[in-house]
Amino acid sequence: MIATRRQFLKAGAAGGAALALRIPLLGEEPRTRAMRFAPNQWLRVARDGWITLVIARSEMGQGVRTSLAAILADELEADWKTVSVEQASPGPEYEDMNTGGSDSVAASWALLRKAAAAAREMLLEAAARTWKVDREACQAASGWVLHAPTGRKLSYGRLVPLAATLPVPAQPALKDSKDFRLIGTRVPRIDGPAIVSGRAVYGLDIRVPGMLFAAVARCPVPGGKAARVDASKAKAVSGVRGVVPISGGIAVVAGDSWAAFSGRDALRVAWDEGPNATLTTEELWRRLDEAAAHPTHVSRNEGDVDAALAAAATRLTATYRDAFQAHAPLEPMNATARIVAGRCEVWAPTQNPQRVQKEAAALLGIAPDKVTVHVTLIGGGFGRRLSADYATEAVELARAVKRPVQIVWSRKDDFEHDRLHPAGRVDLEAGLDGSGRITAWSHRFTTFHLSMFGAFNPDEVEQPDVNPWGGYDNPYAIPNLRAEWTDVESPIHTGAWRAVFYPPNVFARECFLDEIAHRAGRDPLDFRRKLLSGDFPFAMRKVDRSELRTVLDLAAAKGGWGTPLAPRAGRRSGRGIACNVYHGRTLLAHVAEVSVGGAGDVRVHRIVTATDCGQVVNLSGLEGQVESGVAWGLSYALKGETTIRDGRVAESTYRDFPVLGIDEMPEIEVHVVASGKPPSGFGEQPVPPVAPAVANAIFAATGKRVRKLPIRPADLA
Amino acid sequence: MAKFVITVNGRLRTIESADPDMPLLWVLRDRFRLTGTKFGCGVGVCGACTVHMDGEAVRSCQVPVYAAARHRVTTIEGLSPEGRHPCQRAWLEEDVAQCGYCQPGMIMAAAALLARRRPTDEKEIEASLSEHVCRCGTYTRIRRALRRAMAGREGR
Repeated sequence: MIATRRQFLKAGAAGGAALALRIPLLGEEPRTRAMRFAPNQWLRVARDGWITLVIARSEMGQGVRTSLAAILADELEADWKTVSVEQASPGPEYEDMNTGGSDSVAASWALLRKAAAAAREMLLEAAARTWKVDREACQAASGWVLHAPTGRKLSYGRLVPLAATLPVPAQPALKDSKDFRLIGTRVPRIDGPAIVSGRAVYGLDIRVPGMLFAAVARCPVPGGKAARVDASKAKAVSGVRGVVPISGGIAVVAGDSWAAFSGRDALRVAWDEGPNATLTTEELWRRLDEAAAHPTHVSRNEGDVDAALAAAATRLTATYRDAFQAHAPLEPMNATARIVAGRCEVWAPTQNPQRVQKEAAALLGIAPDKVTVHVTLIGGGFGRRLSADYATEAVELARAVKRPVQIVWSRKDDFEHDRLHPAGRVDLEAGLDGSGRITAWSHRFTTFHLSMFGAFNPDEVEQPDVNPWGGYDNPYAIPNLRAEWTDVESPIHTGAWRAVFYPPNVFARECFLDEIAHRAGRDPLDFRRKLLSGDFPFAMRKVDRSELRTVLDLAAAKGGWGTPLAPRAGRRSGRGIACNVYHGRTLLAHVAEVSVGGAGDVRVHRIVTATDCGQVVNLSGLEGQVESGVAWGLSYALKGETTIRDGRVAESTYRDFPVLGIDEMPEIEVHVVASGKPPSGFGEQPVPPVAPAVANAIFAATGKRVRKLPIRPADLA
Repeated sequence: MAKFVITVNGRLRTIESADPDMPLLWVLRDRFRLTGTKFGCGVGVCGACTVHMDGEAVRSCQVPVYAAARHRVTTIEGLSPEGRHPCQRAWLEEDVAQCGYCQPGMIMAAAALLARRRPTDEKEIEASLSEHVCRCGTYTRIRRALRRAMAGREGR
């Protein structure tokens, strides 16, 4: 908390911000109750009018510190120029700090609005009492309460002492959405000034007095362990302070990161690589392929799929596959820990500080409230940092060396010990009647269990999730529809990866639908439209299919669907369309314009996106997440993959695991359907339809159907 | 172990008892506490650690401290006194950053490009930044910010 706050204040010193920022003269805030108004855990108003907004979700680039602050500030009628944000640490007042599932804004929307509205109502009440006027005649605006009949006004700061004595209303009135001033606009990132001036504090930037740096030699093969360690050469490296075995490997502790890495390089370790020593990607695929024939869970079953398939005039089948994928965030895993007098502090770029707190407490055998987790800015999360492994490792080492210590992962460590997106296969079968209408649809998803969320247990049906996202919430109206799931025990570490199970399943579903449309001689957009009436079930709700049709139509209209593409010399061009509904809420469609060269090289020129994600909180953030999701989806579709050789991850840099570069970034256009619904999340949603939109465009360009990701030039040459 | 003198952000800095092969990156981050220069890959591939050495963009993870000695090094912290370099301003105006971790390196690379000569077209910009990784995919806005920074310079 201290670090991020300090970093924020420094950002103010750097200037150049859209925000004017307070630099407290004494470096601290007023603490007495009379000096500030803090009606709940989410905000504080100081006597000088400066407002502190508390953010309980982790900032990893999705802009959550800005969007949550905008929600609070708007409802509070605060002056945006007088707010600062503070990062929360886990404690009883923060119920859910887990930053995953694109849920931060959606889950905070009502909660934060209510909290800020309560504060606004109390400030209004305080002004009305001060003036002895009817509260209904008072108005809040930009950090002031105004009394129009008499033209009087009082700043929020002046109202602090009285407001602080008033009861907190249980059901404050919320603003009408037409009165939003920040929400729905382009709000520049609150952390922007700190980032561009190099003052933003990420996990690796934490510096604690007396701290040491450490690198850990971990067995490259999961399940292996050190058989023999010769640390003599490592100890001789200048700057190395010690070599310490911990549960995850052998830590080399040093005065700086370079000495820690150099010392680790000098370690001689003979690994007992264990049962996975010969594991390969091919062997992992063999296990998947074997399991795919025997689905273990039925997630959705409507009508009678088998009977409808048997009665179909035409039956089509296809198998789609994706690959293991690393997260490869630019900031490698790291954490800093300090243990003093039975209390532990952890500084971590974590998406899940409550898990870090819980696991650190369990490791140390102390109560969770004895563990303070400081959430730093995160140099890319994408699901990797929902795991606490890299943080508890630092805690374990800090206990062993009795000094504050930062564990630094090299880029190779980060690839080698990732919690990978597992490869998966989707087996699809459709039955068509004589008129080309789909009468039956079977969707089987087979993938590896996500070890990040706990041990594999095939008998447990509730945890982990056994629903093939994108398959069981298939949005199309098909009378006989079945979605099945097979979970395979994973010998390697696996975990959540931006949009988790949606990318492989949406790739398969949207491409297979495209196949059927072409087979039936129908336009893929029109074919989808005809399947989008009525509603489909999601959790305990119904999703109106016409909303997806609206989004598809908008993307198609803006993307020039059906109009000729400008020819490109020596290249074949095509357009593709794909869409998805994420967890029954955010609806999104992409139209991709692609060209393919003679060598099978794919260029994506333009992506036009339409979405209905409910109320937009920060338009700049939303557009940024489309850009980001498209880049992510294109890397998934066209760039690197993670492979396993001799039981270990073969890739170690962005050279052998390439991600999209600036020269490959397409033009992007974003169009929003204003539906008036509450915000429904947007960090992952643009990812899933990217790969199928591109693959469908490739088919339009070349007549070649791609069923495996990532797409290689050899597939198209 | 040796002693080296480097000019960092206009200040003469001495580093005592350093491994001559210690990359400038770690000297900046761990010895001088200038953590704005980021560690992304350590093998010169991602560009997050880009700083200026005598005005040229270099990857500080690939410059051993002995090679930086007696040279003039500028980090993101020293690019401008108040974070007001045309690139920094353009980056804010275009609201470029997502996680932001690659951006100091991107800005340093762009600033060197702008200082050296006027890039003729977008292709040249792209070529210069195509060896930088942004996993968040902020490339659309980096392009826009670069164009804005270039236009600002023309207007001067």
